[in-house]
Amino acid sequence: MSQAEPTHRKNKVGDTDATVRFSGVQRTYYLGEPVHALDEVSLSLPEGSFTAVMGPSGSGKSTLMNMVGCLDTPDDGTVTVNGQDVGALSDGKRARLRGSELGFIFQQFNLLPRLTAAENVTLPMVFQNVVGESRRDRAKTLLARVGLGDRLDHTPPELSGGQRQRVAIARALVNEPSVILADEPTGNLDTETGSEIMELFAELHDDGSTILMVTHERHIAEHADRIIHLVDGQIEEIEHVTENPPVQGSETA
Amino acid sequence: MKIAESFRISWRSITGHKLRSTLTTLGIILGIGAVIVFMVLGGGFEKDIIGEFEGEESTSIQVITTTESNFGQGTAQNKIYTEHDMEAIGEIDGVDWVAPDGSLQVVQLSHQGKTVTGGGAGSTFSVTATNPDRFRADLFEMTAGEPFEKGAMDQAVVNENFVKLYDGDVSVGDEVELDFRNKPSQTVTVTGIVNDDTGNGIPPRVHVDLQHYETTVQTPRGAEERAFSYLLVNAESLDQVDQVKKDIQGYFDGDSDARALKGDEQTIEAQTTEDAIEQFQQIVDQIAILLGGIAGISLIVGSIGIANIMIVSVTERTREIGIMKAVGARKRDIIQLFLVESIILGAVGAALGVITGLGIGYIGISVAGWPMAYPTTWILIAVAVGIFVGVLSGSYPAYRAARVDPIEALRRE
Repeated sequence: MSQAEPTHRKNKVGDTDATVRFSGVQRTYYLGEPVHALDEVSLSLPEGSFTAVMGPSGSGKSTLMNMVGCLDTPDDGTVTVNGQDVGALSDGKRARLRGSELGFIFQQFNLLPRLTAAENVTLPMVFQNVVGESRRDRAKTLLARVGLGDRLDHTPPELSGGQRQRVAIARALVNEPSVILADEPTGNLDTETGSEIMELFAELHDDGSTILMVTHERHIAEHADRIIHLVDGQIEEIEHVTENPPVQGSETA
Repeated sequence: MKIAESFRISWRSITGHKLRSTLTTLGIILGIGAVIVFMVLGGGFEKDIIGEFEGEESTSIQVITTTESNFGQGTAQNKIYTEHDMEAIGEIDGVDWVAPDGSLQVVQLSHQGKTVTGGGAGSTFSVTATNPDRFRADLFEMTAGEPFEKGAMDQAVVNENFVKLYDGDVSVGDEVELDFRNKPSQTVTVTGIVNDDTGNGIPPRVHVDLQHYETTVQTPRGAEERAFSYLLVNAESLDQVDQVKKDIQGYFDGDSDARALKGDEQTIEAQTTEDAIEQFQQIVDQIAILLGGIAGISLIVGSIGIANIMIVSVTERTREIGIMKAVGARKRDIIQLFLVESIILGAVGAALGVITGLGIGYIGISVAGWPMAYPTTWILIAVAVGIFVGVLSGSYPAYRAARVDPIEALRRE
């Protein structure tokens, strides 16, 4: 079922339970000639939804992700995260919002190599000025949840790729964010490890987390409720996934 | 972000690069260490000399001639204080006695068959002609015997360094033969031994009666009179020292022989012991500050080293900065992290520099036999400078770090 009509998207903007809303978002880069990374994009991420974004490189996937992640701001239109207009916020306020409402999961894991797993997990809490023993307990709980209860004091170089991604997932959850952003979360992992990570995403989804995931792999995208297809900075199609693939089964790469 | 947190994280990244951090702080350690060493040595030297006078107020006033030159103040040896001047000073109210120092040239001296040849200026021994009052000065202490009798050509007082020259084998009653450069040699009997060691390298010395002194000058009044380069005056009591000093200064500023005989660039100064100490302190301080200033240059080099490493570090950690921004670090958090890191480097460098400086200074002082001095002010200054250097050299790198674009940083491979 495709819902690419602009009118329909406009209706979506009005949803009261949407965690993230894009309305008429425009972002243009000037690299010699103007490149429309996002062109009049409107969409919303309802609370508890799991959305995948697919598209060829240069289609605006990363820009979309950066917008939701408060790393980038629109040239035109508005992006709201949990009711707050991202473009209207100061640099410092955006950083705060990033730390409290968003959880990032990257293809490169992006852990700090000199900090232990537990310290990496609680790093976002440091910037939110959460102190004390509660931090360690929080790290313990979250690492146990991603299956690394016995790796608290290991540093990233001592962990495997899949384990590092689990630490990153635990880190993304630490401040109980409104949205979890995943950029090619399985891109650097082998198929088996990748499907284990997707299993974890399915669990997060079941627990009610709102997830936005960028991927170029169809079978990974199928774990989501719906798939947004981006082409040249515009939403070409929003596809609703009726049946999620079995998370346990082996998948062909 | 709490300060304590940034200390924890910054400390982690400092200890994560041990060799680099060590080399970075080395510049600060050496710079501050060198400054502290000079201050310890200067302080020890000063204490050693001043220690001799400390707690003892003196009734002595010395009259010296100073010369102003491009190289600072020096003491001139012109023989401008005539016997006429001496007499005039002796009549000033409150003056107990006046004693000159007339230097005599002795080429060789023998004692119990052992002849020693002089090695001082002009290959001569330091023999001074004075009057017995001289030994009543506060700085002189008769350790054996008594002063020679006034006018006795065949008597002498030797100092302790002279006794040392003969390995302690000199006692009251011994005979010493003085071989003058320009008059027949003279055998004198030692009547006493004096401790005249004021700390600043007094040579072996023989004191004889003023009768031996024959150097004369033509006075402005047309007379031929003996003249000296130095006078020691003693006031009758401590209460009178300041007034006597003023009166002596007044006399020399007025119609004195010395004023007419001195060179244009020279100044006659009456100094109490306190004045002399103060002047000495000033000179030592100036030298110490000069050397410290030179050492300070290496501090500048050290701070450039920190800045350099921090800039490299920012470039190298661009990705980490991006990660921290992605998980909620604000610009000020990043600035705080990098500033704290450079402040730690500066402060640790300063602390180690102080310890190193005190250690090396202590060794130097032990070798020289001076008392240990703790330059507290300079230690505090050093630590402050270390922190300041940290802030200064960390500011620009921290500013650059804060400006890192997280999107760009995270895109990096």
